[in-house]
Amino acid sequence: MKILLKITVLLVPIIFILMFFFLLTEKRSYPGADYSEFQVPNFNLENLYENKIITDKDLRGDYIINVWASWCITCRVEHPYLMDLKNRRIPVVGINYKDERNNAVDWLAKYGDPYKIIIHDFKGSLALDLGVTGAPETFLVNNGKIVAHYQGEINDKIWKDVFDPIIKEKDMFR
Amino acid sequence: MKHILVLLFSISLSSGTLYEFSNDEDEKRFNKLIEDIRCPKCTSGSLASSNAPVSEDLKNKIVEMINQNKSDEEIKLYVTSRFGVDSLYEPEFNKNTYILWFSPFIFLLLGLTAFLFRKKT
Amino acid sequence: MIIEISHFLSLLATGLFFLVGLFSLFVTSNSYTSNLISRTYSQAFLLLFSSFLIYVWLAVTDNFSVEYIANHSNSALPVFYKVSSIWSAHEGSMFLWIVFLSIWGFIFNIAINNNEILKPKTVGIISFILVGFLLFLLLTSNPFITILPIAPDNGADINPVLQDPALAIHPPTLYLGYVGFVIPFAASLAFLINGDSSIKWEKLIRKWSVMAWVFLTVGISLGSWWAYYELGWGGYWFWDPVENIALMPWLAATAFIHSLSVSIKSSHLRIWTILLSILVFSLSLFGAFIVRSGIIDSVHSFANDPQRGLYLLAFIGAIIAASVFLFVSRFSMINSSNNIPNLSKESFISINNILFGTLIFSIMLGVTYPLFYEYLFDQKISVGAPFYNAIFIPIVILASLFLFFSVDSKWSRGITIDMFKKPIILSITLSIISVIAISFIFKTKDIFILLSIFAGLLIISRYIIEIWKYIFNKKYLNFFSVVAHLALGLLLISISFNSLLSSERALNIKLNQYEEYKDMKVYFNNIQLIKGSNYDAVKASFNIEDSSGNNFNLSPEKRRYFTRGQITTETAIYITPIKDIYLTIGDQLDDGSWIVNIQINFFIRWIWFSAALMSFAGIMLIFSRKRI
Repeated sequence: MKILLKITVLLVPIIFILMFFFLLTEKRSYPGADYSEFQVPNFNLENLYENKIITDKDLRGDYIINVWASWCITCRVEHPYLMDLKNRRIPVVGINYKDERNNAVDWLAKYGDPYKIIIHDFKGSLALDLGVTGAPETFLVNNGKIVAHYQGEINDKIWKDVFDPIIKEKDMFR
Repeated sequence: MKHILVLLFSISLSSGTLYEFSNDEDEKRFNKLIEDIRCPKCTSGSLASSNAPVSEDLKNKIVEMINQNKSDEEIKLYVTSRFGVDSLYEPEFNKNTYILWFSPFIFLLLGLTAFLFRKKT
Repeated sequence: MIIEISHFLSLLATGLFFLVGLFSLFVTSNSYTSNLISRTYSQAFLLLFSSFLIYVWLAVTDNFSVEYIANHSNSALPVFYKVSSIWSAHEGSMFLWIVFLSIWGFIFNIAINNNEILKPKTVGIISFILVGFLLFLLLTSNPFITILPIAPDNGADINPVLQDPALAIHPPTLYLGYVGFVIPFAASLAFLINGDSSIKWEKLIRKWSVMAWVFLTVGISLGSWWAYYELGWGGYWFWDPVENIALMPWLAATAFIHSLSVSIKSSHLRIWTILLSILVFSLSLFGAFIVRSGIIDSVHSFANDPQRGLYLLAFIGAIIAASVFLFVSRFSMINSSNNIPNLSKESFISINNILFGTLIFSIMLGVTYPLFYEYLFDQKISVGAPFYNAIFIPIVILASLFLFFSVDSKWSRGITIDMFKKPIILSITLSIISVIAISFIFKTKDIFILLSIFAGLLIISRYIIEIWKYIFNKKYLNFFSVVAHLALGLLLISISFNSLLSSERALNIKLNQYEEYKDMKVYFNNIQLIKGSNYDAVKASFNIEDSSGNNFNLSPEKRRYFTRGQITTETAIYITPIKDIYLTIGDQLDDGSWIVNIQINFFIRWIWFSAALMSFAGIMLIFSRKRI
């Protein structure tokens, strides 16, 4: 009994401290990136430019979804990279998040429009269904299924670190 | 009877409250749920303690779901499927969390047993 | 330039503390070394304290050539907050932590006679610990770094949320508690090293331990009270990781001071007492590590730096490892063959130790589980209030029941059947009747709330009977125990009723209109834009009238601070003996109405009052003239 006590008192703190050493040094998951897979949610919203309705059925194949707004400063910073994606012929679907139509249209006229199609999500209902917590956020969609989600500004480094591995693994964008 | 019901509904759904419920139990359910669900954007803290836009959106969605008579489980599933299992402050009870839920009581039992069976002169 | 003097003094102090430690390794029963150790410690302390005072002076006089002061203070701040900005971030708060540790050592050094056998080694151990932390400070978290050759004109301003009196004194109070447990820790190790089991180290450090416990109790309560009135959502405890980390040492400390009285009174539980003494200080150190390593996400965390975390963990690990090795190697010294009779007072406190141990274990489990889970299963998980409540409520109720029965227990002998006399039956009867009445009056069948109220009532009624017996039968009364445990009973009841009765709602009201909630009419009278010293604000004024004719005004605000553009809500609270009416404003809606959050919080003040009462019992003990 007493020997048991001695062993416990000795080992427990030491093991505990070693566990923390381990936790401190081990690699954490990539901050901002999430790889849970789920279907693009159903939605029924207006196009930003015309009063036409878009639904989830109108989106097909492999594409990027980018959540942005004219009030979002970081979106301005990542914008050139989105234009770059457009030049590389990667389809980018825009979700204009909680934004006034006029402000959004003016912003695009001023800086350029990298989007193939833009959904006007004024209330943020689609964004909520996607698990969005702010702007900018970007999703990678493979045949109607979301396979990666990044919160924050995307650029070359993030694309290489977060999206490229999945794109290669699933052989996307042919 | 129908007239009275309509009257009751229209009184409680009149302006003056931000989140409108048809009865007190629903309101209590709501207040409990928003304490047990994490704010998706904050470092730590529940929906109740956050006024971030996404928290407000989520709260409105929860009110909507309560008024559609969805159960707590359905509401929690909605939240976790979009924001992750860690959105709930109550960890699930599955084979990965047995240790979490059971070990305090095992600890207690071991301690009490050791005390009861201590060496007596 | 002056900062360099402060820096140099700290370096000197480190060296001198090291010498003190070194001397203590060679102490014999020689009074010369004993005096030398004592004097050198005092000198080292004076150097360190001067270093700190100079640092405070630099902050107060806006010396922004010091990088830390430039980052955390601003010339527009009131003096009080210039001082408190020192402990608003990692380097400065670590400095404060160390200075406080040295203060405890200094007071101990002065108060205890040099021919007290354990004194030199105790002071020596404290000094070694100080050296370790000072090296950590100077090498990895240097508060003395300067911005030269051109110092900025002005500082960066601290987070407006930190510019609050309660929040300014909450960290120092807590730190005084945490580091205070270095005294029993060092004394227990000194006792083990010394080897003579007849020395009553427990008696030596009893009042010191209780004082440190009081600081912890007050510190935690301050944090809870501040969070309630400042954060705007009316809660008083969130099971936030860092709150939990503060609670663990408190639980260990409470168990420790109980175990201590057993060891003093009847020499039992000496093993428990030493282990608890090591545990309390280890948990304090561990807390310091966790908060500064970035390993846990929390609203309380300081800046993330795994590198620092490693150093700190290594140092703390060394201290803990050394103390457990010492414990195991000297085990036979404290191993007693005397056994505790069942149902004796000692046995109740043993069980108390086990129960508190379970609570501490559960918190540690809850705080670290997400970390291990993420590593093992590559998935995040949260452990929050539902888990902690599920563990705490049953165990606290159980502990309360044991407390209730322990009132009749005796030292070193068991309870006899004829002890199950009137007091116990009376208390149980009164409590059951009250709980049934409460269940009807408040229309509740919540078994946990009812059991908690029952437990609280049992404790209160039992101790009131003891007070009665003291007054009318001159029966002996241990005042500290009675007051502290009455406070515990009150705490249980306050928490239960607060949970049972409180309610809230988000209203939306237009200017010059009113809305109703429960029995109150909330009139929205006025809204104005005001300008404070470093913020703009919207101030909304409400007049509230309730059905009993009470009429009062509340003016919550939403502020925007200039320097960082941060927005905070200022609550407005109307305090009555049994409830708080709590108001905050949200955003304005499109139709011009404002969101107004109203809460009715019952018995919340009683919760802090209970904590204050417990602390008062501790202070009574410290200043009592009784031979403890």
